[in-house]
Amino acid sequence: MQGGKPVDIISVPTFWTIWLLVHLILSVGLLGALTHQAVSVTMPVRKVAGPGGFVTRFRAVPAAGYATAVCVMWVLTFIVGSYIYIKYRTYIRIPIEQAGYWKTQGFFDFKEHVASIGLVLLPAYWFFWKNAQDPEYDTARRMVTVILCIACWFLFIVGHVLNNTRGFA
Amino acid sequence: MNTSNAATSRARPATASLASSAKVKTFVITFAVVGTLTYCLCLFFNWPVFTYHPAVNRVEWFWGPARSGEGPAMYWYGWTATTIIVSTIAGFLATLLPEGAAKKIPIILVWLLPILAIPYLIWDLRQWWFHP
Repeated sequence: MQGGKPVDIISVPTFWTIWLLVHLILSVGLLGALTHQAVSVTMPVRKVAGPGGFVTRFRAVPAAGYATAVCVMWVLTFIVGSYIYIKYRTYIRIPIEQAGYWKTQGFFDFKEHVASIGLVLLPAYWFFWKNAQDPEYDTARRMVTVILCIACWFLFIVGHVLNNTRGFA
Repeated sequence: MNTSNAATSRARPATASLASSAKVKTFVITFAVVGTLTYCLCLFFNWPVFTYHPAVNRVEWFWGPARSGEGPAMYWYGWTATTIIVSTIAGFLATLLPEGAAKKIPIILVWLLPILAIPYLIWDLRQWWFHP
């Protein structure tokens, strides 16, 4: 594949933009699920008399049911991100360094470390949620969920800012 | 609407399932703890199980330098692969421990180590923060 030349039916920039959008869509789903879960474990709804407001409904989700979906979406987002990272490393990072955006580059490297550490937490996260009836795991489940949620927001924001710095399209 | 915490946040009891197995518990806790530690060690000692050279689409085992005319070298894939391999082996070995010994692995480490890893990761990236 050559930069800018058509490959079969779509151009190279379009090809990578599609993958970037897939990465974005998966991450948005992940962000929503993890944010619902994190809010539900940090501010659980004890009892509501009458119709609840937006915030109450936001945290009154069946959070345990999100666990497997979150694991699958984290892995898929990770795999797609790893794939487009190849393009980033050769076509985006080098100009970023040449332009002297050192802190921007630092945040991207931080992002990759956070994504990997989040990946190794997933089996434990899934286990804690599948045993949500066991109070032994309450603290661990709450903390791991909040950590993954904060990590996901960080990954999302850094990715978004980097795309604005030098987007594919 | 009458919603309780139990109704919204708790799963059904995972009886006789994968999630209720003591060995699975040992594996996932060990995987998380060893995985976080291994990733930080991989960064510190630079232990990728392979190096990828994207410009020439070449993979070489373990650490390899970027070569002139071949573009940059990528180590993150290798660090992550090292981490997954080591933590999977450690998790499997932990399941072979007697149940009493396996129960002594502190669950708190699952979430405490990632928090403690953050300052180390920031320090590890100091070349970017303090680049002239």
